[in-house]
Amino acid sequence: MLVSPAFIFVLVFFVLPLIFLLSQSVLPEDGGFTLSGYVDFFQSRVSRIVYLRTLKLGLIVTGICLAMAYPAAFVLARMPARRRSFLMSLVILPLMTNAVARTFAWLIILGRRGMVNQTLLSLDLVENPVRFIFTETAIVLGLTQLFLPLMVLPLVSAMENIPDDVLEAARSLGANRLTTFLRIVVPLSSDGLVLGATLVFTGSVTAFVTPAILGGSRLLLMSTLLRQKAVILFDQHAAAVVAVVMILTTLAVNLLLRLGRVRQA
Amino acid sequence: MVSRWMYISLVILYCFLLGPFIIIFMASFGANATMAFPPQGFTLDWFANVFETSQFIDSFWVSLQLALQSTMVSLIMGMPVAYALTRFQFAASGLVETVFSAPILVPGLVIGFAMLNFFVLLGDMHVMTGLFIGHTAILFPYSVRVISASLRNLDPYVEDAAVSLGANRLRGFLLVVLPNMQAGIAAAFVLGFITSFNNVPVSLFLSGPGVTTLPVSMLSYLEYYFDPTIAAVSTLLVIFTVLLVQTAERLLGLSQFV
Amino acid sequence: MPHLEIHDLTVSYEKHQPTLERFNLDVEQGELLSLLGPSGCGKTTTLRSVAGFIQADAGRISINGRDYTNLPPNQRDIGLVFQSYALFPHLTVFNNVAFGLRMRRIPKGEIYSRVTNALKMVGLEDFADRRPAQLSGGQQQRVALARATVIEPQVLLLDEPLSNLDAKLRVDMRQEIRRLQQQLGITTLYVTHDQVEAMSISDRVVVMNQGAIEQIGTPERIFAAPETVFVADFMGFDNRFSAAVESVQGDKLSVNWGGAPIDVRWRAKVGSPRPGARAEVFFRADNANLRAGADASGLAGLVILHTFHGNEVRYLVDTQVGEISILQDSAGQRFESGAAVTVQPQTQKWIAIVEEREPLA
Repeated sequence: MLVSPAFIFVLVFFVLPLIFLLSQSVLPEDGGFTLSGYVDFFQSRVSRIVYLRTLKLGLIVTGICLAMAYPAAFVLARMPARRRSFLMSLVILPLMTNAVARTFAWLIILGRRGMVNQTLLSLDLVENPVRFIFTETAIVLGLTQLFLPLMVLPLVSAMENIPDDVLEAARSLGANRLTTFLRIVVPLSSDGLVLGATLVFTGSVTAFVTPAILGGSRLLLMSTLLRQKAVILFDQHAAAVVAVVMILTTLAVNLLLRLGRVRQA
Repeated sequence: MVSRWMYISLVILYCFLLGPFIIIFMASFGANATMAFPPQGFTLDWFANVFETSQFIDSFWVSLQLALQSTMVSLIMGMPVAYALTRFQFAASGLVETVFSAPILVPGLVIGFAMLNFFVLLGDMHVMTGLFIGHTAILFPYSVRVISASLRNLDPYVEDAAVSLGANRLRGFLLVVLPNMQAGIAAAFVLGFITSFNNVPVSLFLSGPGVTTLPVSMLSYLEYYFDPTIAAVSTLLVIFTVLLVQTAERLLGLSQFV
Repeated sequence: MPHLEIHDLTVSYEKHQPTLERFNLDVEQGELLSLLGPSGCGKTTTLRSVAGFIQADAGRISINGRDYTNLPPNQRDIGLVFQSYALFPHLTVFNNVAFGLRMRRIPKGEIYSRVTNALKMVGLEDFADRRPAQLSGGQQQRVALARATVIEPQVLLLDEPLSNLDAKLRVDMRQEIRRLQQQLGITTLYVTHDQVEAMSISDRVVVMNQGAIEQIGTPERIFAAPETVFVADFMGFDNRFSAAVESVQGDKLSVNWGGAPIDVRWRAKVGSPRPGARAEVFFRADNANLRAGADASGLAGLVILHTFHGNEVRYLVDTQVGEISILQDSAGQRFESGAAVTVQPQTQKWIAIVEEREPLA
């Protein structure tokens, strides 16, 4: 009784559209049931490249976020509560600002006359401005900045739960700082790691704003490909296929990582 | 246990997280229209430009209205769900939980695309209505989660205590449970508002002629112009968000719910 | 030469920890020494300094002649048992115990036999594959003990190891720790705030207060002959009164108790007490008798409360020197509230402590 209004809302306005989307991807307007949309998608060189590029950049971004967040999260988790809550609010702040604003900063940094190029030119390291915009590097930087907090937050909350005693026990048994970190802190924060990696990876492979601004139509990812098919090419059938592939990818990643976590426990 | 190089990593992290904001700030006051860096001179022209561009003003009001409405409705629908999920074990509770958390798992862009196609199928729907439905659907799981978290912190026996003292279930809920949910509800409201206000993927497809949200109109402005006006809008938005988040953090301890 | 030497140890600031100033302590080879005191007395600071988690400002810690003062904790040859056990939740019991051996790069085969042996010693050989979360509190405690001792450390440190267990288990574990310690002949520092625990387990007890040692000695000696008011209070002397010293003869002094003079053994910080000095007199509830009715054999009083404790009954008696707590055999004569009684002192076990300096004559 309590859940019914919400249940009906989600059913009608969320589940039904998705079912319709699924049907669109297998039922082109001019014919019966067919999987040709999916076959076309994976046979087309362009869409295959886009798909693999999306996964590749997602992995790179996840890796960089992990490398940057892990040691920093440990420092944050070991801080006195007052200082930690201040620093954590600074981590959350970017999360609360819209992606357009945050990605725009990279145009200023990486643009033809941006910060990096001005520096390179003034140091005579290059003769002409280097093109950074519309490169994979730009997208990776933008996405990393966007999703870094999603890696820091779960890691910090996992590491907060490791008692000081446990770390001291490892030290008293002869483990040095690095060994303690690798053999105690890392395994004990694996839940946070898995959650953070899931959030960052799925966020990266489905993000739209950053690839749209920093990759444009020259360097498509799945999200910008979906937009192109739907709005510019008006091919709703092909767009639906892209959308379903995106859903399946994120679901698969979530399931995989969740399974990994269950087996570990 | 914390060694020096770990502190260095902390500094790098914060440079990376906050550096872009500093650059946006500087660019929004620079007199140089071509966005060269470092900016030359000082001007407030770009801020003036923001307020003279009707595209931004109109879409700001759309975003504000949309965020308020969808947050409210998602909260009103989310409260009983959170209550039911934390207090009762019922046959379908697993299914209900899965259905309600599904909108988190589906990419926002896909949600917007699927809804657009579905609404076209349903026939003429006002753009604002479409946006409202889309935003409410994506906010809903967050409302449920945040309110559930605050309910889990509340001893379930306080309600029984109220009943044992003569209150009926409804009064027990209204007089004992609801006041203790306040912080959770307020936190959910702020988070929901910000999520909706910043959303691009869902709004992208559902926006229509003349009705656009602020982030989407910023994105389309970027397609045609490349000048510090966007930096000025961003600066204003950052200030707006900082004020909102800091107030909420101070009043409610927001970070515990994120 | 003592096995563990703490010399002039000074710890001036440590988060939420009390300070130590020029603290000295020697522990002999194979000895179990307890640091006993209320929270904040510096016992944990001492222990954590020996373990290497607190850096001393000055002084020296050495074990077996080797200077430990500036050694990081992982290079100290020490076994540490935490109040919280601090087991590694992600590792099995076996791997918890094996951790220290792996850090020491012991060969696999030897690790297996030593861990198995250590688990056998604490009776957990069948639990090797369990995770800490699947064990009871007492079992977790045993794992912590096995983990700390399997590395055959020079010194074993135990930080309130029993405070998270229930009363009955505490007594069992106490004996188990003592048995294991004697079996291994390991030099041990044992931190506790429970005087009964310290009495029952130790070779020697150190009573600490505000970062300094109040008294050090065998449990028997500290129990029977506390040297300071603090120790007497802490060692569970139920009754206390102050009185002026009337005269001193040898190891006894005479004070006035309810109008009658009594002779009590004395302890003093400096020299021997002079008449007129203030003495604090302590006696335990079982060092006085109750008789029905008022007579000249002792102090008259009225029973105001009686509580039954199985073999004994505890009475609270109101007298002219205040309320006195007295323990009597429950098989003997019983008194109701309001009964008039006489309190007969058994002064051979009473003690008078004189702390104030002699008045300048």
